Amino acid sequence: MDLQPIHHEPTTFVKKYLFTTDHKVIAKQFLWAGLLFLLWGGLLAMMIRWQWAYPGEKVPVIGDLFLKESGGAITPDLYPKLFTNHGLIMIFWAITPMLIGAFGNYCIPLMIGARDMAFPLLNMLSFWVFVLSQIMVGASFFFDNGAAAAAWISYPPMSGNIGTPGHGQTMMMAAIFVTGVATIMGGINYVTTVIRFRAPGMTWMRLPLTVWGLWLTSVLNVLFVPVLGSAGLLLILDRMFGTQFFVAGANATGTGGDPILFQHLFWIFGHPEVYILILPAWGIVGDVISFFSRKPAYWYKGTVIALIAVTVLSAVVYGHHMFMTGINPLLGQSFMILTLVISIPAEVLFLNWLHTMWKGSIRLTVPMIFALGTVFVFGLGGLTGIFLGTISTDIYLHDTMYVVGHFHYTMAAATFLGTFCAIYFWFPKMFGRKMNPMLGKLHFWFSFIFITLVFGGQLVVGYAGQPRWFFDPYQYTFLQHLQDANIKTSWAAFALLFGQVFFVINFFKSMFAGEEAGDNPWEVGTLEWTIPSPPPVHNFDPIPTVYHGPHEYAHPGVLEKMGKDWLGQDEAFDGIELSASTDEKVAQGA
Amino acid sequence: MKNVSWRNLPTYQKGEHLKMKWCKSIQNLVAFFSVSLVSALAYAQPQPESGYNLPRDVSLDGHRIDWLINITMVFCIILFVIMCIWMLWAIFLHGKNHKADYDTGDSKHHILIACTISALIFFVVDGNLFYNSVVDLNEAFWNFEKAEGPDAVQIEVNGRQWVWDARYKGADGKFNTADDIVTRNDIRVPINTPIGMQLTSVDVIHSFFLPNLRVKSDAIPGDVNRIWFQATDTGDFEIVCVQHCGAAHYKMRGILTIMPENEYKAWHDEASRRAKLAFDPEDKSAQWGWAWEEL
Repeated sequence: MDLQPIHHEPTTFVKKYLFTTDHKVIAKQFLWAGLLFLLWGGLLAMMIRWQWAYPGEKVPVIGDLFLKESGGAITPDLYPKLFTNHGLIMIFWAITPMLIGAFGNYCIPLMIGARDMAFPLLNMLSFWVFVLSQIMVGASFFFDNGAAAAAWISYPPMSGNIGTPGHGQTMMMAAIFVTGVATIMGGINYVTTVIRFRAPGMTWMRLPLTVWGLWLTSVLNVLFVPVLGSAGLLLILDRMFGTQFFVAGANATGTGGDPILFQHLFWIFGHPEVYILILPAWGIVGDVISFFSRKPAYWYKGTVIALIAVTVLSAVVYGHHMFMTGINPLLGQSFMILTLVISIPAEVLFLNWLHTMWKGSIRLTVPMIFALGTVFVFGLGGLTGIFLGTISTDIYLHDTMYVVGHFHYTMAAATFLGTFCAIYFWFPKMFGRKMNPMLGKLHFWFSFIFITLVFGGQLVVGYAGQPRWFFDPYQYTFLQHLQDANIKTSWAAFALLFGQVFFVINFFKSMFAGEEAGDNPWEVGTLEWTIPSPPPVHNFDPIPTVYHGPHEYAHPGVLEKMGKDWLGQDEAFDGIELSASTDEKVAQGA
Repeated sequence: MKNVSWRNLPTYQKGEHLKMKWCKSIQNLVAFFSVSLVSALAYAQPQPESGYNLPRDVSLDGHRIDWLINITMVFCIILFVIMCIWMLWAIFLHGKNHKADYDTGDSKHHILIACTISALIFFVVDGNLFYNSVVDLNEAFWNFEKAEGPDAVQIEVNGRQWVWDARYKGADGKFNTADDIVTRNDIRVPINTPIGMQLTSVDVIHSFFLPNLRVKSDAIPGDVNRIWFQATDTGDFEIVCVQHCGAAHYKMRGILTIMPENEYKAWHDEASRRAKLAFDPEDKSAQWGWAWEEL
């Protein structure tokens, strides 16, 4: 146990709240940083939606404050900056810090029974490097020519000096590199912690699904974020030092380079990134559905195998983003079949979630309805994705709003609802107080209904042919009839933003005046609920011994002898898994 | 500031078809003008669409894509509805008052069912998609030999911020010679004829999209990509750039005019003749064409 000493609580403000090595405080820091940038990215999205509904008209409020030069309207020059920064901010500086930074940090040590991360100092460094990258994003808006404008995919030559001159784009690429460094630091920490710091008896097949999701995400992060870093670095060299890795055509001197090379590097990272964002949400949803169906997670092993299969497959499908680049037909068909194969583990996941609910005793608590909402929107996102996995259908749908609708259902709606599921679920542990369920349900219904409508509207206009990245789609005759649909979709987006007010009120009110939560308000069995809320600095004293998996609900024997329908992972009970000799050895030997 | 409605900016003027029966003297006069004049006289009037369906299909093979999208849509809707009913039913039947079953779902029986359902969905829905997509690509969309024959019309398309330049072989049957026709955001093709295009770009990546013909490919600097299609109806249709290529990306709009074969031939011969007259060998920048890349 010398790996995990008991530290005294720091006494100074700086050591306790700023430069802290306590994973629980770092988790909250990531949460605040992520929420702030979620708001920023969200406001950028609202401006894009305004533009699609009322192109060229004055933006209410924001126009008065920030767009005085153009009379409050969004200009064609500003518009690419909006969607570029919306995409990048949401992915790298909102979802990543919240799902992975905050809940990875908070849940992993608590759920596996560890006192802290394997590398607490690296953890602190990871957060502050992340803050540096956020500052760089903010700074990128203040250069001549403004912020980055080459779309989130940053394809050169558009993202080179030819397409986006000025230091804003360079600064953004550098910020992506820096946040990549922070992500890799976090990833190494998570991977190591889960491998080395599991409590005695916490075998791999007893890990909560949340930890599985976060661990697999971290493996992908460690493997693939460096690829993005290399692509970003080469692009910065092209922009700043006159190299020509990605320059071709009239602007190349000599033989030039190859813009497609960047796309390969970008998507080798970019496709795993989709799963990096969704795997933690899948894990959380798998756990929460079992917790609130008061029933063991159906075929836990199958879920784990499916998560691993998705993780492995995610690395070999990236070519489907490049079907329109003149890809070799044989290569295209290989990527096509590999992409479609992902639907098998995805179906196993869905079947297991649905089976978990079936014949349960379902409690529609706020985390539960958010989890079910996640399943719903991810169902939509997953099903609409297969059209984009085959080349002939992709010929028509590629680069249309259909693609935007699809990946927003998976990467935005599912992670958004999944993140809030996590916030509502662990808030009592984090802050020691319960959140208001009434406000939580209001927040859910606003979020769920309108997020479904917003991205559904995008699917509809995309199916009708509206391309993405259009400042004014109605320049095209064949798109003019879609303005009504876009206006309705935009109002759904504004309602979605409005619904977040309930969360903000609930979050701050509950933090200071919520009902005391107690150790285990949800009556669930994972290790973090066996200790006080909020937990002490060293989490566990002594480190618990684990006897069985995380989803022991409705066991008739437990019900009879202990009078409750759940069993803590640290509670031994005859007849549940104790016969497994290897498990016993781990429990005793460690 | 006054609100600017970007929608109402003039784009293309309604015009009349070029009358090819002009007398010789007028032809000689007009011949002094460059080919750009031919473009300026373009008669572009694409028809608006309605409803939320796929845009009108005027291509020989587009129905393959439409069918595959729609049949898969039906499968997906069925699966999604089953999922929703399952969830709602579970919530309705097995709520707080229902006593939960202790079922870990680990039995062989359960695993077999889950795997069978997954495999079944995969082989039916994904299998259908994959099979038909491969067939469609081999028979139609990526079967570029179809547009290599002597009857086919071949066009070189060069994307640049924010224009589609198109180049046709002249009477000599070769690209990048004095009688090449070069047009700007204005591509004309004959009906019922295989049209082969080679695409490239000089500056950033563009993507050439013909929504009504179900055709799309990126135009990449330093690279030549191919597309081919065959139109089944005459009329004017829009050419869209679908890869973000700068602030005026949304204005990179061209018109594809599908003409009757004889009308196309008359236009082509006349435009080529004028192009030869207007050709300036000193103007190297206008000679951006390339020798057609053989398969």
